Amino acid sequence: MLKTLRTFKGGYRFENYSGQPSPTVVDNPIPSQVIIPLKQGFSTEVKPLVKKGTVVFAGQIIAKDEKSISSPVHASVNGVVEDIRRINYFKREITMVVIRTNNDSREIPRLPGHTSEWGKLTNENIEELIYLSGVSSLDREGIPTRFKSSIISPEDVKHLIIHGVGSEPYNISLDLLLEGKNFLHFFEGVKILKRIMPNCKVHLAINAHKRKIIEQLVKLSSELEWLDVYPLEPKYPQGYDEMLVPTILNQKFPYGYSAANIGVVVLNIQAVLGVYEAVVEGKPFIERIIALCGTSLKENIHVKVRVGTLLSEIIPPRLKTDQQPTRVVLNSLLTGFELNDLNLPIDRTFSQIIAIPENKTREFLSFLKLGRRRDSYSRTFLAKLLPTVKKLVDTNQHGEERPCISCSYCEEVCPVRIIPHLLSKYVKRGLIDETLMNYDIFNCIECGLCSFVCPSKIPLLKHMKEGHEKLIMQGCDRTQCILPYFNLKGIEEYRGVTKL
Amino acid sequence: MQFIKSAIEGLYGLIEKNKYLNKLKPVLLATDEFFFGTDKVTTLPHIVGYIDIKRFMSFVIVGLIPATLAAIYFWGLRVIAIIMVSYIFGGLVEVAFAITRKKEIHEGFLVTGLIFPLILPPGVPLWVVAVGIIFGVIFGKEAFGGTGRNIFNPAIVGRIFLTIAFPNIMTVHWQQPFMGGWGGFLHYQNSIDAITTATPLALFKNQGIVTSSMALLLGQSAGCIGETFRIGIIAGGLFLILTKIVDWRLPFAYLGTVIVFPFLSNHLLHTHFALGPFQMLTGGLLLGAFFMATDPVTSPFTKPGRWIAGILLGVLTILIRGLSGYAEGVMFSILLVNVFTPLIDTIVLKVRYKKT
Repeated sequence: MLKTLRTFKGGYRFENYSGQPSPTVVDNPIPSQVIIPLKQGFSTEVKPLVKKGTVVFAGQIIAKDEKSISSPVHASVNGVVEDIRRINYFKREITMVVIRTNNDSREIPRLPGHTSEWGKLTNENIEELIYLSGVSSLDREGIPTRFKSSIISPEDVKHLIIHGVGSEPYNISLDLLLEGKNFLHFFEGVKILKRIMPNCKVHLAINAHKRKIIEQLVKLSSELEWLDVYPLEPKYPQGYDEMLVPTILNQKFPYGYSAANIGVVVLNIQAVLGVYEAVVEGKPFIERIIALCGTSLKENIHVKVRVGTLLSEIIPPRLKTDQQPTRVVLNSLLTGFELNDLNLPIDRTFSQIIAIPENKTREFLSFLKLGRRRDSYSRTFLAKLLPTVKKLVDTNQHGEERPCISCSYCEEVCPVRIIPHLLSKYVKRGLIDETLMNYDIFNCIECGLCSFVCPSKIPLLKHMKEGHEKLIMQGCDRTQCILPYFNLKGIEEYRGVTKL
Repeated sequence: MQFIKSAIEGLYGLIEKNKYLNKLKPVLLATDEFFFGTDKVTTLPHIVGYIDIKRFMSFVIVGLIPATLAAIYFWGLRVIAIIMVSYIFGGLVEVAFAITRKKEIHEGFLVTGLIFPLILPPGVPLWVVAVGIIFGVIFGKEAFGGTGRNIFNPAIVGRIFLTIAFPNIMTVHWQQPFMGGWGGFLHYQNSIDAITTATPLALFKNQGIVTSSMALLLGQSAGCIGETFRIGIIAGGLFLILTKIVDWRLPFAYLGTVIVFPFLSNHLLHTHFALGPFQMLTGGLLLGAFFMATDPVTSPFTKPGRWIAGILLGVLTILIRGLSGYAEGVMFSILLVNVFTPLIDTIVLKVRYKKT
């Protein structure tokens, strides 16, 4: 059923940034060497089943752990294990398997037991296929199966939210993901998920501007009373679990925990497509579509790459050659990691890679410029009146740091209704006590909007994180803000797994 | 541009060598930043909005342009001299404090330096302007630790100091504005002793005369330098609200109260309280409501707090105008509400974050 347009208070719409990926996809060639992290997505690190010198084929499970909450990891090419070593991967030491390719065929051997008539399979078979394909480790809390791939069991899931909101400045193209046959595949995937989580209601949250997709979904879903379609305004950070749960379910979110703790699973569209491919086509999840965005790239397209491909094979050949310094960012311009070391591999969780100019040049009287292509929260730039003009972004700070003047822009955009400038003043003066907790500092979801809008260029996000850390160091228990108000599931298991 | 760049670089070289000149580095740094912006890059988030404090403050100045131009038209070119004096002496205080504190110079002063002359009577001697702005900046802002920490609006502190210290200059002599033709654009000032008149508020208070709204809107009445051209002030205020520099709640609550509240008091004491529309269009009310009460540092930052402050301002202004010995009450009420700002915010936060 189609629901009315919904949104939340606060937030900010990043509109019309120049360098959005066009809905075309290019197959990246099979790399000569892959490095496969043994912890991908929502999963603990798994133990390798292979040794140096083992011959592996694409799609072979090379690491698996049945005891912990995890999903198996596959080799993504045909080749020989060259080395197993620990590499620092996004601030965490992770064991990685290095595989040298010896046969660059694109064929992927299929998982046994897959069938297009999945209706005839038992739930256990379906869950096994999902688990073995590795799809079950995608997104914040994974897809629950009986194989310990998430912190709750499939029967406990009350709501399944599948979202394609695209609220970031740069998003993977929804039109591409759902084009042609993929649309039906996606819908089959939803049905499969409903089958293994029989007690859940399914909520499809789609960018309200994608009218065609919504219409198609409504047509297909009109007879299914367990499925609702929600057009959502693409306002950052709508794509966060913390925002999707309140907007869609009108339910409070246990900040700092996962949505799974209240029986909600949030998945994105690529995960659902992965479920379809695993169950119907038997494909292990070793390929991923990544959007290449930003003005520093020659062309903004999508690439289909094997998991474990080094960034150096994807990014440098596609950068513009005008010698300008570039910053490459993973997934989100507001919260993503900066990809300095291009010798790192990509894993299952990559969805956008953004390259924008690193702008260190000083601009003459920049504060007096009209700003036809400059985006800002206040309406002091012409860009706000010209919504159709493509906006430019770079990494310049656009101004010096100044004392806070309490303009309360940060409070207005804050999606979780806290007052960043007030908290930041407390943290800066070292007043770390219960007052901070009372002002809900632990509700902060670190979306970075406060730092984005601040005209005084105060690093509010940094102060928030600092406040968190100092409070915890002083022995404040953040659970006491949440636990008394919620009935959380799977909490012991969750604490074992570090926050993603 | 290249010329300024090389000039600044030359000056950097010069002050590096001299121990005493080196103390002036904040001035040079501020000039450098003013012209060339920053070369710093972001950490996380990777992008930040383009607005900075310089742009924020320059928009307030843009909002004040109609009132300032009209002021020159009504009161003569001397207004420019008054503004210059205000900027120079206020700027010197700012620089002196920046040097002793070894901190950078902040842009907030650009607004104070323009608002202060606009709330002085047109005949004010230049030395009084200098005294007022120096007092205002030192005791209104720097004594509390500079931009962002002040409790009072510095322009109002300076103005009230002058009102109390020099009542004769500040409240008795009011000039008649230039009207017709090029007005004040071609004159230095109206001859002082020739015409003195009373402000519309004083006329009402002493003789019960109500000036017509049209005259008030277009500025054909006596008053402070920048407060008489009210159409321009309204336009500037709306401009600030539309650009989100100013939150609409406080001016809306203030003006709303000023219109509604006098209807009640007019019933009881109609010789003391004029009706709402007249109250709104007289004195410094519009200038105060749009440009001074909304100063983000000294007004409440919570939204309910802004409503409360606006209503409080309205009630106080009307009461002071009606019942006290002063004809005008906007300055005093803004100063009083500035005192209550932290309290209002604290109460609002207490209610909002009440844990059950």
